[in-house]
Amino acid sequence: MAGRSAARLRRRLDRLGIVHGALALFAVGLVGKAGKEQLWRGAYWSRVAERQHYLADSLPAPRGEILDAAGETLVESRELVQLKVAPREVKSRPALAAALRKAGVANDWVKRATDVKRAWVELPGRFLPSDVARVVAMRGVYAAPALERVTSGTTGMRRVVGRVGPDGTPLDGIELALDSVLRGERGTTTVLRDARGRSFESPSAQGTAPRPGNTVVLTINHALQGICESALDDAVSRMGADGGDVVVMDPHTGEVLAMATHRADPRSTAATALSEPYEPGSTLKPFVAAKLLELKRARADEVVNTHNGTLVLDGRTINDAEPEPTMTLAEVIMKSSNIGIVQFAQRLSPREEFEALRDIGLGAPTGVPYPAEAAGTLREPKRWSRTSPASMAMGYEIAVTPLQLVTAYASIANGGELLEPALVKEVRSPEGKVVYRHERRVVRRVMPEAIAKQVRGMLVETVAKGTAVDADLTNYEVAGKTGTARRTSGGKGYEAHHYTASFVGLFPSEDPQYVILVKLDNPSATIFGGKAAAPVSKVVLEAAIAARDAALDRSSLAAHVRVRPSPESAAAARKPLAPISAPNETAAVATKDTDAGPPRSAYVVSLGAAKPAAVAAAPAPARPVPDVRGLPLRSAARALHEAGFHVSLAGSGDGTAPAAGTMLRAGSTVRLFHPRTAD
Amino acid sequence: MALLLVGFVLVAVGVIWRRTYGVAQSRELAQLDRRRLDLLAQRTRLESDIRDLSSRARLAPIAEQRLRMHVPNDSQVVILGATRAPAAGASGGRP
Repeated sequence: MAGRSAARLRRRLDRLGIVHGALALFAVGLVGKAGKEQLWRGAYWSRVAERQHYLADSLPAPRGEILDAAGETLVESRELVQLKVAPREVKSRPALAAALRKAGVANDWVKRATDVKRAWVELPGRFLPSDVARVVAMRGVYAAPALERVTSGTTGMRRVVGRVGPDGTPLDGIELALDSVLRGERGTTTVLRDARGRSFESPSAQGTAPRPGNTVVLTINHALQGICESALDDAVSRMGADGGDVVVMDPHTGEVLAMATHRADPRSTAATALSEPYEPGSTLKPFVAAKLLELKRARADEVVNTHNGTLVLDGRTINDAEPEPTMTLAEVIMKSSNIGIVQFAQRLSPREEFEALRDIGLGAPTGVPYPAEAAGTLREPKRWSRTSPASMAMGYEIAVTPLQLVTAYASIANGGELLEPALVKEVRSPEGKVVYRHERRVVRRVMPEAIAKQVRGMLVETVAKGTAVDADLTNYEVAGKTGTARRTSGGKGYEAHHYTASFVGLFPSEDPQYVILVKLDNPSATIFGGKAAAPVSKVVLEAAIAARDAALDRSSLAAHVRVRPSPESAAAARKPLAPISAPNETAAVATKDTDAGPPRSAYVVSLGAAKPAAVAAAPAPARPVPDVRGLPLRSAARALHEAGFHVSLAGSGDGTAPAAGTMLRAGSTVRLFHPRTAD
Repeated sequence: MALLLVGFVLVAVGVIWRRTYGVAQSRELAQLDRRRLDLLAQRTRLESDIRDLSSRARLAPIAEQRLRMHVPNDSQVVILGATRAPAAGASGGRP
């Protein structure tokens, strides 16, 4: 009995011993393993832990701003967030759906974001961080910083600056052309991740800050751009045109001051003044005339037979809108005679004619930073047909972009130098340092100064007495040339009743500050450039003169006011007892003032006869002329305007005519004598 | 031995507290940064809206229709040479 129990105890002790031994071995193994992991593999596990807790990330660099010439912001970036969802990680899908709907996510995208069949959903659009703060706090939702471009300004300006896609890739315009300048350099950072996988910035994280892109300053003046776009939109609608373009350039620097585009097709997003060539028609004639004059093959007063408006040449009938038996070269330009220019152009060889057009920059891109710029078409003489020289002289069989033609006319305006056109005035680093500044660059001299002046004279006559009288201004001399060219369609040749009406003007004609091109595609109210396009130029110029900042040098402009009574002032001057000095007189006074005074100029807008019909219908009550003696000129003019009178300046002196206290009807003109300024 | 244990516990609590505090501060920092970006983004949008609303394209039609203003033609614009401002007190008219 005792032996059996002793044997049982021994067996039990053996089992306990085994268990204890096993436990002891396990403990030793555990300690050994811990010791090994801590002592031998400690560095490895530290790295693993670091990888799990810290995440290297890159920070997007703010894209550079785009400004207009006056420093107005056109495009800038703002940082928003993009949401990415892993639906299988989401804990409460109804709560996520509700939060996404509240943040403004479309229903179909909410369904996708909560669909467990999908592993990963990237939601479209960008959100303000505060709008999606609740969503971002949820498990399975990941937020990534994303930059959005905010574009201000008119639609035409947007065509020039271009667009950036949702992923930050530039698509067109300046954004694409100057991407490397605007893009900036991404930064790096390290974020801390908690047990739920949420990340937040680590205070001890190392990284490099992103470097913003450079700021690009365009040559475009937003005030003038607005004027051009409004005038163009109005003209397209009034004339029933399919579309149109307006380009304004400073002929002394080559800077493009405005570039307006109107297209009915909403898919058109490019600045068509750079991307769509057209046949310029008669606006090319002055360059043929310039070459003839330069080579001494013709004189401005030389007469050719214009065959009473119909000429058959090489089996082709050429017509003139204004038939004449003979015309001088100057009249050919003034009246835009096709027969005349064809007759004169026969004195040039095809090579000479080709070179004349090639030298003014046609057939080659101008080189402005715009990705879709077209080169136009100018074929080599060896590819010309028998009728090509005549066609070219009339502006056919050649395609130019509005910018090319404006640049060519700028050479007439500035005395014969072809300038490189510029869209970018300046590039500034994020620190504000100027890294690029546009400087006037002469490509080549295309005509002697004397010839440029002579051609400018012909263009002045064209506006004064020729086809472009509707572009003329009262107080300033404008030079210009109209064009009315047939249009082709889809490679099927010229279509009946389809025309391009255009006008290129120089303002003012002496020392021009603007070269303006107006082009209307297929106008239906009238097809003629002089009737459809020239008035648009006038509207733009009038608005630019009245605008506060439309890139006009007013001091210089005042020196070019011409002495010519306006119809309204001439009619008013005939009335007895209503002495009204003509605007030319006031202008002359202003010129004198400008000469005497400092270069800074102010301007006064004197409201004229154009009043709303309802106001004009009622007879204005009589009121006394206020006493403005002793007041400065501007204050005196303002006081008279406030009293309801029109003001004309009437030389040095003091007071007004009629004298203070005289009863006059509101709207009457009061002559204001301006005091001598003591220097 | 007990002192050592207490010391170890205190140090461990200190380390954990420091890390917890650091994480909380980081969260607050991230939140403030989000708020800053938010405000900057809103400011950018509002500035853009101001530019659009004060543009010529927006104001000119209103001035024409509501205030019956019009763009003057070139003869109605007189460019005056800048004259010297009169001395203080000299603008009260003739004695």
